[in-house]
Amino acid sequence: MKIEQYRLIEKSRIKEFLNKLISIYNVVAPVEKGFNNFAFEQIRTADEVRLNYIPTILPPKKYFLPKKETILEFELGDELKVEPVTEYENLVLFGVHTCDIAGIKCLNMVLSDRPKDTAYLIRKKHITIIGIECNNYCDDYASCSFVGAHIPTTGYDLMFTELSEHFIVHVHSSKGMEIVEKTEMFKGADQNTIEELKILRNNKLKVFNNEIPTERRYIPDLFDRSFNATVWQELESKCLSCGNCTAVCPTCYCFDIKEDVELSLKRGERYRVWFSCQLDPFAKVAGGIDFRRERSARQRHRFYRKFRYHIDRYGMIFCTGCGRCSRTCMAGINLKEVLTSLIRESEAKIWRKWL
Amino acid sequence: MSKPKVAFFDFACCEGCQLQVANLGEMVLDLIDIVDIVEFREVMSEKWDGEFDVSFIEGSITDEHAVERVKKIREKSKILVALGSCATIGGVNGMKNSFNLEEAGRYVYGEAYKFFPTIHTKAVHQVVRVDYFINGCPIYQPEFLTVLKCILKGLPYYVPEYPVCVECKLNENVCMYDRGLTCMGPVTKAGCNSWCINNGNICYGCRGLTINPNSQGFKDVLKKFGIPEDFLMKKIEMYNKCKELDES
Repeated sequence: MKIEQYRLIEKSRIKEFLNKLISIYNVVAPVEKGFNNFAFEQIRTADEVRLNYIPTILPPKKYFLPKKETILEFELGDELKVEPVTEYENLVLFGVHTCDIAGIKCLNMVLSDRPKDTAYLIRKKHITIIGIECNNYCDDYASCSFVGAHIPTTGYDLMFTELSEHFIVHVHSSKGMEIVEKTEMFKGADQNTIEELKILRNNKLKVFNNEIPTERRYIPDLFDRSFNATVWQELESKCLSCGNCTAVCPTCYCFDIKEDVELSLKRGERYRVWFSCQLDPFAKVAGGIDFRRERSARQRHRFYRKFRYHIDRYGMIFCTGCGRCSRTCMAGINLKEVLTSLIRESEAKIWRKWL
Repeated sequence: MSKPKVAFFDFACCEGCQLQVANLGEMVLDLIDIVDIVEFREVMSEKWDGEFDVSFIEGSITDEHAVERVKKIREKSKILVALGSCATIGGVNGMKNSFNLEEAGRYVYGEAYKFFPTIHTKAVHQVVRVDYFINGCPIYQPEFLTVLKCILKGLPYYVPEYPVCVECKLNENVCMYDRGLTCMGPVTKAGCNSWCINNGNICYGCRGLTINPNSQGFKDVLKKFGIPEDFLMKKIEMYNKCKELDES
């Protein structure tokens, strides 16, 4: 912890800071939607913002990979005219949890791989991320400690951590520094507050415990043994294929491409929309063949996309432990429970081998 | 090139779907730039004797007269579109199929029921071939325009084969089940952009069941939320009763 990278702001002045931020930038922050639901929305005053919130309905991924995104415009006529389009906006995301920052890091990894997603990479440059550290669990659905997303590491411009009297702010980029300078509300950190931060982080090791009865490093092996596990069959009868789990996932990035024309039938656009491996038409191809007809196969695919395939390709687990998929599932499919069942079943197999 | 001749016809229905078309507002001006509306009782008195390029059929088929009439329209139409729930899935008129026909007739017309012969309610595709389906009670205007553009471009239109939840979640609505309400979204075909839920209402399931609903799974979910199964079945039957004719 380099003391010169840290700044302080009194907790009582956080609203003042937010209002100042709004006067300079387009600010997006968590707001309350009722019934313990929250959403990231553009805010007009600091009063709308909830600093204490459980993960929003949709992750901030919606600003990096819009739900509907125009990718080209065309004009039909004697000659076809085509113009590629990139949609972007200067935004400051305030109050992003470390799990969601982990999600954006996953997206960065995939979308800067070849073929590069240029529109995404341009949009990313225009977004500033101000994180807020969780000192406690949001609820029982979270498994952020298991995937190591509960402590801020990288992927943000500023990170706010709540201490007894101050927010201590880690300045992690020049974009973050610009905000500190423009709002003129921060002072340098002192040794006492740095000590307080150290104590808090130490405490977090006690508050946050590994939520899954295994270690992260055993996950590839576990999934290598689990392709025919009975859990998948249980999911077959439970899953409604509503696609909620993938829509709310910070690391799902599958999309469909569609086209629309104006009523004149002369001009139109090609756009992409979020799509989901859980839905019936996803793996359907010409001839009406469906590569993943069974709900069990679709759910299994989802879990392998989070915990196996991307480890080979990117060396990363693509679960951020945010708990959204379990929170939103009407059928009560719970990520922590599925992983635990896989572990139990696989343990039994290993013991049989030894005996 | 002359503009395609388009007509609207109504059968057993409330004509609300045609009203949705009439209520397109300024878009109607763009619409008549590209099509020639030759018959549309809801908004004009003129009739057309010749052939139709595109016929929109609103309403379900509930008596022998209607069967004859829709067959004639089919013969004269290059493309036939089922417009709205009554036409695509039988809609609320399908509830008649839960009763004995004589009993239903007597309930409505009293002793005079013999003068009003009736048949089991049918969706349009259960009587004649249908080329395009526009679901909804009423239809969702943006989907109507999308389908119309597909027709004019000669492209197929695929009704989404996934539930309303998909669109609803993207609209970031608070789930109705979180509010303690029973919503048909999880088993209802999407395509309406979760119109009702965006406006604070539950989904009534007007677009019909998804192609591959996990009925048992949904019943388990309802049990978890303490919702009785027959309550759900009634909700499903409100729009989906004619589906049984497809299955038999």
